[in-house]
Amino acid sequence: MMDKFRNTQFYKSIFRGGGVPKSRRQRMMVVLNSVFLHLHPVRLPKHAVKLKFTWCMGGLSFFIFLVLTISGILLMFYYRPTIEYAYTDIIDLAEQVPFGIMREIHRWGAHAMVITVWLHMFRVFMTGSYKPPREFNWVVGVLLLFLTLLLSFTGYLLPWDQLAIWAITVGSNMARATPFLGHEGPGAALLAIGDINFVTMGSDVRFALIGGRFMGEAALLRFYVLHCVGLPFIIMIFMAIHFWRIRKDGGISTPV
Amino acid sequence: MESFKHLIDTISNPTILFTATFLIFFFIFPINDWFDKWNRRLKLYGLWSKKSMLIVTFIMVAFYIVGLSDPDFRLIMLKPDNVPISGLIYLVYFFTWLSMHQAYENDARIERGEPLDEQYDAPNDKVLVWPDLVYIEFISLILCSAFLLIWSISLPAPIEEPANPTESPNPAKAPWYFLGLQEMLVYFDPWMAGVVLPMLIIVGLMAIPYLDNERSGSGYYSFKNRKLSIGLFMFGWLVLWNMLIIVGTILRGPNWNFFGPFEYWDIHKLEALTNINFSEFVYIKWLNTGLPDNIILREIWGLLVLLGYFLILPPLLAKTALKKLFARLGSFRYSIFIVLILIALTLPMKMYLRWIFNLKYIVSIPEYFFNF
Amino acid sequence: MAEIKNKESATKDPGRRPPAALSKTKTVEPITRRSFFSWLTIGWFAFAAATGAFFTMMLRFFFPNVLFEPVQTFRAGFPDDYTVGEVDLRWKDKYGVWIIRNEEGIYVLSTVCTHLGCTPNWLVSEQKFKCPCHGSGFYKSGINFEGPAPRPLERFKITLADDGQIIVDKTIKFQQEKGQWNDPEAILSV
Repeated sequence: MMDKFRNTQFYKSIFRGGGVPKSRRQRMMVVLNSVFLHLHPVRLPKHAVKLKFTWCMGGLSFFIFLVLTISGILLMFYYRPTIEYAYTDIIDLAEQVPFGIMREIHRWGAHAMVITVWLHMFRVFMTGSYKPPREFNWVVGVLLLFLTLLLSFTGYLLPWDQLAIWAITVGSNMARATPFLGHEGPGAALLAIGDINFVTMGSDVRFALIGGRFMGEAALLRFYVLHCVGLPFIIMIFMAIHFWRIRKDGGISTPV
Repeated sequence: MESFKHLIDTISNPTILFTATFLIFFFIFPINDWFDKWNRRLKLYGLWSKKSMLIVTFIMVAFYIVGLSDPDFRLIMLKPDNVPISGLIYLVYFFTWLSMHQAYENDARIERGEPLDEQYDAPNDKVLVWPDLVYIEFISLILCSAFLLIWSISLPAPIEEPANPTESPNPAKAPWYFLGLQEMLVYFDPWMAGVVLPMLIIVGLMAIPYLDNERSGSGYYSFKNRKLSIGLFMFGWLVLWNMLIIVGTILRGPNWNFFGPFEYWDIHKLEALTNINFSEFVYIKWLNTGLPDNIILREIWGLLVLLGYFLILPPLLAKTALKKLFARLGSFRYSIFIVLILIALTLPMKMYLRWIFNLKYIVSIPEYFFNF
Repeated sequence: MAEIKNKESATKDPGRRPPAALSKTKTVEPITRRSFFSWLTIGWFAFAAATGAFFTMMLRFFFPNVLFEPVQTFRAGFPDDYTVGEVDLRWKDKYGVWIIRNEEGIYVLSTVCTHLGCTPNWLVSEQKFKCPCHGSGFYKSGINFEGPAPRPLERFKITLADDGQIIVDKTIKFQQEKGQWNDPEAILSV
């Protein structure tokens, strides 16, 4: 039955090889012909498939990112980023929506992704894989780590509970102290003509971040947009570069 | 049992905890031949054997289970947002062990003249992605999904009271992965701890491949030929990052005071924290005069200390203790490397100055929001 | 000037072209505006300017002209409502201030910690404000004495209305380290 189906024009049009790949050539073609599998090379050094070498942390980070994207999109159907509704929407998500664990998957997934990204960096360091010719990919990786933390941090505000608002208050007040760009940072007082200060509470980098002088509606909306659209957009660009460069720099690192 | 808990609480005191860590650390991860000699003499590399791993795992699990019988410990560790920390502590230990275990194995192979564990004979030793890699990825994904699902079903995500901009919770903590930064905020001004140091962490990490100009050692676990780079990285990653996170999560309680893991979070715990600036040390304590009104005159001593630290110390070290390193890196790489390291070292230094002398700032110019 | 130098060096160096040829090329191709700024250069400058203007525009987009934020001025009752020597907590939740009366008068302290903006708690038994976030402590006057806070709490403008009520204006603040606490509007003498 299954074999017959595999021989139909319909099946063959989708999976070019037909049948289960058995010969070495067929198995190579499977990878070459699939847009998803083509992320991989066709053949690998043997240690690249050993868990004790790779720990699989990079792959898991990417997988958890996909889980977070999907669960995040689902959450967006119910969540409204306003002070009035944000908190109650989160409560409703758990209590009024069937299979109300989507927020749990999203939150715990976010924690898990931070850990997997750290451990991936740790593995790459310990195998010396940042060394030439992979220096630049390490730099991209550090950026990805930074973006992961930023994504997690911006998401922290969205439930608009005590945990959220105080974590973000502390975080955004650090921006207030940015040298020259924050109104309480060193050097900001020097950027003035006579009595007119250029860097004030209404014009510094903290203001740009939270959209006002005080934590409120505008901050919630800005963090929401950054969390759902802005940062994912940037991180996907860098992820593409990261994956592309793995292949272009010669695949997984090997002893020379 | 109570005396055991009391012992743990006592050694959780930051001064004791960090001093012990700093003393032991470089013997476990020797950065030069001298430490390596003692590492071998004390047989500390035994930590990376399979037997040690089982013993440490057993101790950690036992401590966790026994600890959970204590209400105060339970309160901290089972707070939903702190649950990932328990996982992180064990995972960081386990993967440190796994990498060091393989590194020492490879070092032994090199010494015996055998090929590395990762050595392969291209192209004969190559394997196919389909099915050799694909099925491993598939199993990993399924296990990871199952793990996430079970976690999500069994532990609801935290939600606290609705936001109230006028009432901060006590203690008010950032997400756990930023607690290292929050800990730094106690010792540094926000512009340093919140802006400059995080930037330098990122820049410093990015600079690693350009500063470490030793070409060999790529693509396999090894330790012997990378002692300095691995030792320094481990110090930053294990002590200055993960340990600070653990301290911030477990040992910081109400009013941001230190509490042992089994100690009751008493909101009225009194701690003498009257901090004074370096200028006050100089003029009031030592010279017995009042603080001068002139800002520059007031802060000149602190500025001199900083200038000496960042401008005189690096060339001095290049001539003496770090002569070989200077020759290997060249002056440009060396300058960047040493400045990054010196800035990183200001963190433990300021911690000690705070704990022992209650020193607040070395240079303090609040008029221009410049405090260091 | 440059020409003279060229001539000198040229005469000293026999391998070079004679000075006559040098001056000739100069007169043939005078440095005009057009040859200096070639069209390509102008094009690149225009491109850079346009890109710069575009990013400036995008940056300015983050700073709206009108803010919808709560009113920052309020009436806080009569001076006799406040007891000498006590920290009054009644406006803390609504407006984020403590009103404190001592022998000299009444002053208004901001409840925003100068470290990172948490709200300190007033601990009556210890007679101090203690911040729960990073452990800064302040005296009743607002002066910082422990923890990481770099400077004292801020005071707000306090005046009397015609009907004898206290008016607090949170848009005007007084900072001790700038010597502003001596300002007559920083403390209301009763």
